[in-house]
Parts: sequence; structure tokens; C-alpha cells
Amino acid sequence: MTFNHFTRRLHLYLGMGLLPWFFMYGISSYVFNHGQYFEEQFKARGVPLWKTRFEKPYDVPVPEGKELKELGARIMKDSGIEGSFGTYRQNENQINVYAHTFWWSTQIKYFVKEKKLVAEDRAFRWDHFLTGMHARGGFDQDSALSDLWAVLIDLVCAGMLLWIASGLYMWWKITPVRGWGWLALLSGLATFGIFLWRL
Amino acid sequence: MYLALFLAPWILMYSLSTLAMNHRKSLQAWFGEAPPAFEKEREVDIAPGLFSAQADAKENAKRLLQTLDMDGMHGVPKSGPKKLVVVRQYAAAPVRVTYTPESGKAVIEKQPSSFHLFLERMHRRRGYQHPYGTDQVWAFSVDLVVVVIVFWVLSGLWMWWELKATRVLGALSAAAGLGLFAWLVSIL
Repeated sequence: MTFNHFTRRLHLYLGMGLLPWFFMYGISSYVFNHGQYFEEQFKARGVPLWKTRFEKPYDVPVPEGKELKELGARIMKDSGIEGSFGTYRQNENQINVYAHTFWWSTQIKYFVKEKKLVAEDRAFRWDHFLTGMHARGGFDQDSALSDLWAVLIDLVCAGMLLWIASGLYMWWKITPVRGWGWLALLSGLATFGIFLWRL
Repeated sequence: MYLALFLAPWILMYSLSTLAMNHRKSLQAWFGEAPPAFEKEREVDIAPGLFSAQADAKENAKRLLQTLDMDGMHGVPKSGPKKLVVVRQYAAAPVRVTYTPESGKAVIEKQPSSFHLFLERMHRRRGYQHPYGTDQVWAFSVDLVVVVIVFWVLSGLWMWWELKATRVLGALSAAAGLGLFAWLVSIL
């Protein structure tokens, strides 16, 4: 197998394997880019975005500083909610735990002074489903499957970099299209440069 | 092919920025959790009467940036009678303008460049909600990337089908990818 042959096959099989991710990133980028439109569509339906699941008395010590993961895990457990989560200090009196899967998301608000816990479920929206999938990443969840998703994102990125490299290589190998190819490549670089300068 | 060559800088930026965001924790451990502090560049005297009493913070911020010849996409993190803070979201690095009516001066501070933060900013830049021509054209370029990605998916499928020698292995790759994707989406 020649290098040329290997490059073409790698380009193809990697593309086929990562097709669902590439498709998902494409479609969800459109949703992100037209966020206002989807927001207006949802508002027109007149459905509340958040619905209270429960409200109950609650009292746990809140640690100082930024490390709130343990507190978040405890609030999740006490609320009987499972899934990936992030814990944030909204203000001095409020800790928010944002729990989510691709299909649902719940925010749990702990009001420290009032000693109260409020959980709210977010209405399912296809646009949020897609953008949630697009935005999911990182290795900060204690979950092997979340880590696997993050590894696959790395693979998608590596695939994209490889497509750029192999695409350039394949273009270079087709001598008749070199001239127009140079024009396209340099115009793209110049346009991108103008954006960096003018944005 | 020509479209792919033209859009290569966008694809490069999106893939590198996705890597940076996927490894944000490691980068924060390396470069520090907080973004670099703004550094003072210069101070500018602002002529009195720039703002009308009826104008809101948004209008005042725009006027301030126009006066400084810095108009473009921006945010207003703080506004009040004593202070107006505007952050101009340049592509390379954000610039903060703090105007205090009492002193009649605007302090201009720039955030030192950081490659991973630059990538992340570019990745998140999108949408037609900003009333600036360059931002509108940028949003259009994002739409173009979307159309091209979907076109690549479809044309890739077609090209694979045309190459008879790769049909079986290609189908296996696609089935494995689709199966893994569907499984993860159903349980994550």
C-alpha cells in the first residue's frame, strides 16, 4: 500500500466512523448560530421553560471557596437525582446544582439562609438537545462514559485535523487543480485574517 | 474541494478550539484558572456632554466606543451614574473601557493575549444578534461552515458508495460509529 493509498483510505474510514459526530456538530452549530430564532419559536408556544419538581426544607454546611463538587454530589443524592452535574455559587446565599443528561436537565437551588431546596425541571426542547450535545465535553465528571464521550471528541478533532492535512495532500497530488486550489486556500486565509483584524 | 480549501482556516480553528475546551481543566491547571488581568494601555479625556440624560447604558456604551473609534461587538458589565464599564470583544483580545463622568476620563485596558482563550472566543462567536456588519458576515461564514459540513457528510457517503472496494469496510466503520453514537446518546 502506497502512502497516497493509505491517506485516502484513512480519510474515508475515519470519516465514515465519525460521521454521526460530524453531522451532529454541523446541525447543532446552525441552532447555535440562529439561537434567537429558536428562542422566539419556543416563547411563541407559551410553555414555561422551568417547572418546579419539589421544594423542601434542607440544611447542609456550605464550604468556603470554589470547591463545591462534594456539596453538589450530596445535594444530588439527597434529591434522588442522577446524572452529570456542575455546582456553582450563584451568590452568597445560593448554591445551584445543574444536573443534566442529553435528554433532560434539572437545576437544584439551595437557599442557604432560608434552608430550602428547590428543584426545577427544564422543558424538553430539540434545540437544547442538540446544543447540549454540542457543548458537552471535558474530563471533569466522575463517569467513565462521560470520559469516553470526551475521548471521542478528541478523536473527532484529530479526525478534522487529519482531514485538513490529508485534504491538502490529496489536492497537491492532483496537479491540474493546483492553481485554483491555491486561489481558494489563499482567499480563505485572507478572509479569515480580515475577520481577525476587523471583528 | 475548493470550498474545503477556502474554509480550512475555520475548520482548523474549530478543531483546535474544541480540543482546548475539551481539556480546559488541564489548561487552567497550566495557565491559571482566572483569565489574565487587564493591563492599562492609555487614558483618554472625554468631552463633556457625550451622553444625554435620556440615553440608557446601551446607548451610552455605543457612543463611548464610537468616540474612541472602537465601535463593535461589546458587553456592558457595569453601568451607573458614577461609572460605565464597556468590554469591547475584539477577536484577538478583549479591551475594557472604564469611563468615570466625575473625572471625565476613559481608562482603556487590554487583556494580554492567550492562545487558548482566543480560540475559545472565536469558537463561541456566532449569531446575527449584533448590529455590526463584520459580525453579520462572520455569522454568515458560520452558516457556510454548517452547510459545507453537511455537504461533506452527504458527499462523503456518496463517494464511499462509488468506491466498490471500500464498501464493506466503510459500512463497518459507519455502523460501528453510528452504534457507538446512538448508545452514548441514549445513556449519557
